[in-house]
Amino acid sequence: MSQIEFHQVSKRFENGHEALRDITAAFEEGSMTFLTGHSGAGKSTFLKLLLCLDRPTRGQILVNGVNVAQIPPVRLAYYRQNLGAVFQDHHLLTHRTVFENVALPLRVVGLKEKDIGKRVRAALSRVGLLSKEGLFPRYLSTGEQQRVGIARAVVTRPKILLADEPTGNLDPALSRDIMQLFEQFHQFGTTVIVASHDRELIETMDARIIELSHGAVVRDETEYASGEVLSDESHHVEV
Amino acid sequence: MSKSRGSKSKLSRDPWPRNRSGLAAGGRDHLRVARETLHFVSARMGTSLLVWLLVGIALALPAGLFLLQVNLGAMTDAWDGRPGLSVYFQLDASDPAIQEVVETLRGDASVHGVTFISQAQALAEFQSYASLSDALELLDENPLPASARAVLAGGSGLADLQRLADMVTSAPGVAEVSVEKTWLERVTEITRVISRLGIMLGLLFGIGAVLVTATSVRLAIEARLEELRVLKLVGATDGQIRRPFLYFGVFYGLGGGLVAAMLISLSLLVVETPLTNLLGSYSQNLELAGFDPSFLGVLFAIGGVLGVLGALLAARARLGNLEIL
Ligand SMILES: Nc1ncnc2c1ncn2[C@@H]1O[C@H](COP(=O)(O)OP(=O)(O)O)[C@@H](O)[C@H]1O
Ligand SMILES: [Mg+2]
Repeated sequence: MSQIEFHQVSKRFENGHEALRDITAAFEEGSMTFLTGHSGAGKSTFLKLLLCLDRPTRGQILVNGVNVAQIPPVRLAYYRQNLGAVFQDHHLLTHRTVFENVALPLRVVGLKEKDIGKRVRAALSRVGLLSKEGLFPRYLSTGEQQRVGIARAVVTRPKILLADEPTGNLDPALSRDIMQLFEQFHQFGTTVIVASHDRELIETMDARIIELSHGAVVRDETEYASGEVLSDESHHVEV
Repeated sequence: MSKSRGSKSKLSRDPWPRNRSGLAAGGRDHLRVARETLHFVSARMGTSLLVWLLVGIALALPAGLFLLQVNLGAMTDAWDGRPGLSVYFQLDASDPAIQEVVETLRGDASVHGVTFISQAQALAEFQSYASLSDALELLDENPLPASARAVLAGGSGLADLQRLADMVTSAPGVAEVSVEKTWLERVTEITRVISRLGIMLGLLFGIGAVLVTATSVRLAIEARLEELRVLKLVGATDGQIRRPFLYFGVFYGLGGGLVAAMLISLSLLVVETPLTNLLGSYSQNLELAGFDPSFLGVLFAIGGVLGVLGALLAARARLGNLEIL
């Protein structure tokens, strides 16, 4: 049993648009995967289903063997406490300091103030922002803001870390830094799934790449050898 | 690996165990929410005061009517000009029969006292109106009946009066029983009207108070929507997300109770002099009943409950299916 399993998952929206078609994929504990594809391919929908922000129309999503579509609403909160999520629009609270933003998930869990301080600082130092803990997000650069978002996602030490276009607003150098952060968390044993349309960037990384096109998987391959030239065949699948 | 997760054995059955930090964590969360609520409210003092005032007025009116009703009730009890009944005897009624009726009335627990007026006394009284005495002299017999007037004891009411009247009406020698109940009846009716009016106003203004808090809580929710989405995303339970707004509701409701108490004491100050005059003519020991700690307690409790109701209403409308992204 893999940690995350998609079994013939389809998602059709009320307007009839089919954002995901018959997706089957498995993710091992501690693996790192990039989800790529054109805009509108279904990457965000994929992650939303996994976060239980929406439910699949057909098929099953199993996490630790449990069908997440059947988690009762009252337990969804506990499910989400065990996931970390990062978004392009980082969703930081503007009227709270960096520290408070990162502390939020820990307060939700009800950790003691002393432990919150330790954990928040550990997460902030992990993303290189320890010196900025007292600032408000608006005084940070876009790249720094994104890293605060990442710190918030990992502060609870989730087993699974999901990111949707985390480098969307960033220049190539900053984007690389961010991706390397995810790589680090993967090295610590966290399962990481990053959705990104920045193919150039992700193909330089050592990770599995799943490409979606119009809601279907058109490519799913694992790159383990660093720097290896990628097989190019699937690039022509694009419509 | 993390504290926030349950034991391994639990994990196999329940992959996402409820947080086990338990009561202490819950307490910390309440404390945090209370602190934040206070901060949020004080940052919007103008709005908060306005809500307090509105809720306060909504509570003060029915509560004031309630006090009025309680005091009217007390007034009829303490009233010196107590109601009573007059029994008029037949002209040929025998002395023992009359004696019997008078004794019956005297012996009743709800009767304060009985005054007997014989035929002769009645005549003497009548003749003191000089102009009429001549007319009476034309008559052979004394046409005035003997009568007895019974005054009710404190604490007895209309029902007692009616019972006494029924009791003596059929007694031998009694010609007529006249019950003097109009004043008492009127006050009782007024009290009843006020009590119903109070219930009506209480309902209407209660709904008003709920809507006022619901609206302001809703505004508070709108102002924090972004934060609520993030909270939900990082795994806050619906309860946690709702909690600050329930605190708002309680806060607005209690504040409304406070304002209502102040409004009522203010009104009492204003009406004190005329009220003393009014009540003082019927009772010596004027003291406004009902405005005591338990009344205030109930006022605050009702305020708090209405506030929470309003908050729940707003939370259900706005947070019921909050879209995270
Ligand atoms: N709530 C929705 N209702 C209808 N269509 C939607 C909704 N959300 C997304 N879509 C559509 O589903 C498709 C996939 O969207 P998305 O998963 O956001 O793609 P990606 O993240 O790969 O750009 C798009 O065509 C989008 O317009
Ligand atoms: Mg997207």
